[in-house]
Amino acid sequence: MKNRLKLLRVERDWTQEQLGQALGVSRQAVNALETEKHDPSLDLAYRIAVLFDRPVEDIFENPHA
Amino acid sequence: MLTAWKSVTPAHRRYVIRTWAFMVPYVLICVSMMLTDAFDDIIGKPAGWGLAAAVSAPVIGQLWATLSLMRESDEFVRALTAKQFIVAAGLAMGLATFWGFAETFANAPHLPGWLIYAAFWAIYGLVSPFIKATNG
Repeated sequence: MKNRLKLLRVERDWTQEQLGQALGVSRQAVNALETEKHDPSLDLAYRIAVLFDRPVEDIFENPHA
Repeated sequence: MLTAWKSVTPAHRRYVIRTWAFMVPYVLICVSMMLTDAFDDIIGKPAGWGLAAAVSAPVIGQLWATLSLMRESDEFVRALTAKQFIVAAGLAMGLATFWGFAETFANAPHLPGWLIYAAFWAIYGLVSPFIKATNG
């Protein structure tokens, strides 16, 4: 799923490890999200949205829109 | 090596420790059976069933270790591990089924059934580097 996660992370000067710790997931999970190898669950997508203080659809492109 | 150990998640560290705990006795018993006559006296006796159960128990333990890794990991690792496990299990079952029928219909030499466990992990190791996405 296309997303702006890497852009948002780099804007804050966070590493994948730091973002993973903030979200409660592994660095591998962050990398998989950024490289579109994993579509997040609704729960994880909302956690990411809260962390970056943005709506989910600002971060993840809605493939059905 | 210590750096690599520190970089993996706690769940992965527990998985590696549990895997060693189950695989060391399994390999020791298998090697002892193949290279020594330590167990020859119980072949064909009721104790042979006990030995078969003992050497099989680590296989169940390894399944528990894998399920624990999935339970203790995040959603990506859980989904990826499940996908790798299912592909490897399917290929191992396909291989065992093929060889079973080859023995029946093509006079292929008989192979002991316990080889399927080693075959499964060999296939798991071979396919895992090619399965890196949960959504493809």
